[in-house]
Formats: sequence, C-alpha cells, structure tokens
Amino acid sequence: TVRPKNEVEQKQLCAFGEYVAEILPKYIQQVQVTCFNELELLIHPDGIIPVLTFLRDHTNAQFKSLADLTAVDVPSRQYRFEIVYNLLSLRFNSRIRVKTYTDELTPVDSAVPVHKAANWYEREVWDMYGVFFANHPDLRRILTDYGFEGHPFRKDFPLSGYVEVRYDDEVKRVVAEPVELSQEFRKFDLNSPWEAFPAYRAAPEPLKIEAGAKKEDAK
Amino acid sequence: QTTGLVGLAVAENPHERLRILYTKILGVLQNIPKDAAYRKYTEQIVNQRFNLVQTETDVQKLQDKLNSGHIEEVIVQAENELSLARKMIQWKPWEPLVEEPPSDQWRWPI
Repeated sequence: TVRPKNEVEQKQLCAFGEYVAEILPKYIQQVQVTCFNELELLIHPDGIIPVLTFLRDHTNAQFKSLADLTAVDVPSRQYRFEIVYNLLSLRFNSRIRVKTYTDELTPVDSAVPVHKAANWYEREVWDMYGVFFANHPDLRRILTDYGFEGHPFRKDFPLSGYVEVRYDDEVKRVVAEPVELSQEFRKFDLNSPWEAFPAYRAAPEPLKIEAGAKKEDAK
Repeated sequence: QTTGLVGLAVAENPHERLRILYTKILGVLQNIPKDAAYRKYTEQIVNQRFNLVQTETDVQKLQDKLNSGHIEEVIVQAENELSLARKMIQWKPWEPLVEEPPSDQWRWPI
C-alpha cells in the first residue's frame, strides 16, 4: 500500500515556506517540502541565530520548541557536516526543519541564546562529530569516555574504534590499548548485479520553492 | 481569577498593555525599508490585532476573536514580536543572499 497524499497540508507547507523565504532572503538558500509533508529550510551558517529567533518569536511562526539538534556527516562534500534543527510549534501544531552546513574547522553559532534546550544537543554534536559551537556556555564531551580521542559518529571513524580494548592490568587500573578483534572486519556488498528500479534511475527532483525574486537578482 | 498556566499572572488592563506594545512595534517597524517583506507582513498582523483590541472591550470575546490562546499569551507574543523587530533592524534579513552554497551541498541522494 502507498501512503495517501495529503494535498491540503502540502499546499499549506509550501505557502508557509514561500512566506518565510520571502521574509528572510539573506540567509535561506533553498526551501523544500518532502513527500511526507515535512518542510525544510536550507540556511547559510551565518543565519542560524536570525532564522531561529525569527521562527521562535514571529506571530505567524511560533516555533517555541526545539525538538532535536543533530548533524549529518557526508564526507564527499566540501562542507562535510550538515547541522539539522527540528522545531515544533505548539500554537499551530506544525514542525519545521532548519539545515545548515559547516566543515571540520569552521565554528558555528550556538543556538543556546535562542533555545536553552540546545545546550546538551550541541555538546553531543561536538563530542560525536567535532563541530565547534561559538558562544556555547559549556562545550565539553558528554557521551564519550573522559580521555577519549576522536569523534565517533564521523564516517571515517571505524565501527570498532581505535582504542576500545580496556582491561585491568598489574597496575590495577583500566588501560586503553589498540583494539584487537579476533575476526577482521568483513564488509558485504549486498547490491545485486541487476538494476533494481529502472524507472528511478535519476534522483527525483524535490518540490523546490524559489526564494523570491531577490535571489535571482543576486545571481 | 487565574490563567491556568504556570508562571503567567492574570493581566489587569490587557487592552492598555496591548495598545502600548502594538504602537511600539509599529514605531520600530518604521526603521525598516518600506519594501521589506517582514515589515509588510508584520504591519498587517499588528494592525489586524490592534483593530480587534480597540473594537472589542470584553476580554473573553477578544480572546475568541484573536483565536490565539489567553490574553496573557497574546501579550507575551507581542513582547516577543517587539524584541524580534528590534533584532531584525540589526540583522537586515531583507538583503539578497549572503553566499551561494557549493553546487553539491544540498543534493540528495549524493
């Protein structure tokens, strides 16, 4: 069975996406609505705090709740990490996603002045990916062990880690040693040699909304 | 008398408070260029709410007409809009795009 398309909700989200893109053309690079009726705003990293404060304070968009703050690692891109903010509006019962990009060394403005909930989420993104947040009140590791080196959720960090094997020694404490697995890592290529979906060879175009005439003028 | 919400005290004379806040917002919006979409839409919203506040004297009926929760919540929202308008003057988001992304940045699947 295929999920039924909710045209009304899609139109409403498209209209709202165009509204926000018209108000903030300086930072919004693209707006898209997924087929599951999820609105996404793609932002330049300078515009995190303006866009998040706008979405929190404006009367037509009271997204007071920060539901999630994560990052996505795509190592093949120039700006490898995509920071994702999921916001929820309790007044209008709707969600929105704000996405930004950064590479390993560029710091990103912290969302803590806007949403206090971002505090631990940003600590987690720092710990797991290595994305530095400027003006964060207390940026330190939150999930990894105290002397842990490396950022585990990056795509180039191996599944078993580098120094995972720890045991009590004659020195009567836990030591970190390079990992020794009894069986070496096997990667199975599960793709079949035959093409699975010939009708879907090209990636489908997302429902893009142009960010108003001003963006075309800037080009 | 209670709002039923934690931390929000009942507002005495909400019409006066809303009138002050909306005039302040409209004053702040004058500093934004006339063609900015933010100024257009916010003026529209504020004038709409302002007219409703001025015509309707009963608090309960005003809450129903505004359809936006308690009057105290409307006051909080107006204060937020005022602080947002002040910050918008510094950020100037109506200018054209700061920087285009690299061409493969938002392509999915990669």
